Amino acid sequence: MPRYRLLGKKRGTKRTGSNLVGSLGEAAFFTLLFVIGVLGLTALVVAQVNHPSPNYRLGFGFWLMVGVMVSFILIGGGGVVIRIFKVGMSSERRLALARKAAHIDLLSDAMPSTIDFPSIPRDSDLTNSPGVRLAYRLPAMHSPVVRLATITVFSVVWNIVSVVLVIVAWSSHREDQADWLLTLFALPFVGIGIWSGFYTVKQWWQHASIGPTHVEISEHPLYPGKAYDVYMSQMGQMKLDSLTLALVCDEEATFHQGTDIRTETRRVRSQEFFRETEVRIEPGSPFEQVCRITIPEDGMHSFHSSHNAVTWNLVVKGESTSWPSFERSFPVVVYPLSVEESESLAAGS
Amino acid sequence: MEPLISATLRHPHRVFFPGDELLCEYQLDAVMQSDVHAVEAAVLWFTEGKGTEDMGVHCFHRRTPDDAEDQDLRSLHQFGTILPNSPLSYSGLIVKIRWCVRIRLFLRDARQYHHDIPFELRARPC
Repeated sequence: MPRYRLLGKKRGTKRTGSNLVGSLGEAAFFTLLFVIGVLGLTALVVAQVNHPSPNYRLGFGFWLMVGVMVSFILIGGGGVVIRIFKVGMSSERRLALARKAAHIDLLSDAMPSTIDFPSIPRDSDLTNSPGVRLAYRLPAMHSPVVRLATITVFSVVWNIVSVVLVIVAWSSHREDQADWLLTLFALPFVGIGIWSGFYTVKQWWQHASIGPTHVEISEHPLYPGKAYDVYMSQMGQMKLDSLTLALVCDEEATFHQGTDIRTETRRVRSQEFFRETEVRIEPGSPFEQVCRITIPEDGMHSFHSSHNAVTWNLVVKGESTSWPSFERSFPVVVYPLSVEESESLAAGS
Repeated sequence: MEPLISATLRHPHRVFFPGDELLCEYQLDAVMQSDVHAVEAAVLWFTEGKGTEDMGVHCFHRRTPDDAEDQDLRSLHQFGTILPNSPLSYSGLIVKIRWCVRIRLFLRDARQYHHDIPFELRARPC
């Protein structure tokens, strides 16, 4: 029997206390929002109609208030409708309806669907790029281009602002009207600008030195207990103490902590399939290697839901004392053996 | 007194493989026929662990008095489904996946009761 209390905790779709009281509270909140929106909008329009002022045109403030009141009506009205829809409906029923709708959509899709393997991500993004040596070239998980572009834009914008501040402060000193407050304000700006400039140049230099990493695989998707060829190539100009290729499995859990949404990752499996020490890579002669990997027979298949995931990655890691170390991940999708696959394997053995 | 939901799986070990047929039967006791508004039976998975709970429904049946003989939802009822290829049951460090059959009873006074029967969906041995 749920206990009734003033305050309760809510985690995802679960809450302490009564669901009925929680739903009523949410419905009351959205109703209040809707009523405030309707009354506010009515008052605004009525005031404008009853007391029109020929000297003044409708300004930005009026339309801002109209926008706020309309958003109250939409959010409040939508919230009330959703609450009414949810009353008396179990979460299983809602999910079943959503699943039915998703299946209708999937039926029209030509891609391999997740109907046969629910909650396993599609591998269409991983198999749309043919490899040079093997069947598929795998995409890297995080492209460094976006990160580099972000760092560069930040540095440029920050330094432009810093230069403007310095010019204004310098002018005030030259005209014997020294603005010390502005000068003090500009100093940390300039410091951060110099640091960001150095950091940006260092990142671009590292990116240019390390060069791209390519990983190709003979088949995809992958199945537990099966072996696959993997080709890796590392370009750039550097000297590494070691270069490794590993197959790793991570668990990801997303949860609310206060008002933040956090994601925790735990590595549950890591198997190294290739290690080379004292690697020297020169421009025009990339390091290349083909090795064979095996998916563990008892390994969990890839899994993805709204807040939880099990992911598999091929990880290329370069370590050096004189150069920056790097680690690049290439996602793969592991499927469980289907009934047909199991039967064919059993027949083969 | 709370209504009694009795449910059993037609498989004593509660371990299933993808493609197996799951058969379940359930009945309701300690409740008046006229008090029962609806009964839902679902075969579903849900996550446990550090992350916010996710849930997926594989099979769902909802019955109202109009669907039952004599409009009595309390009598023994059986349903079945072929289990999917995934997700398999899993006990990881921060992510766990559980399967269960959930019978949910709705009474006319808006009260709800549910009963879960856990089971495992394992990879088919080669």
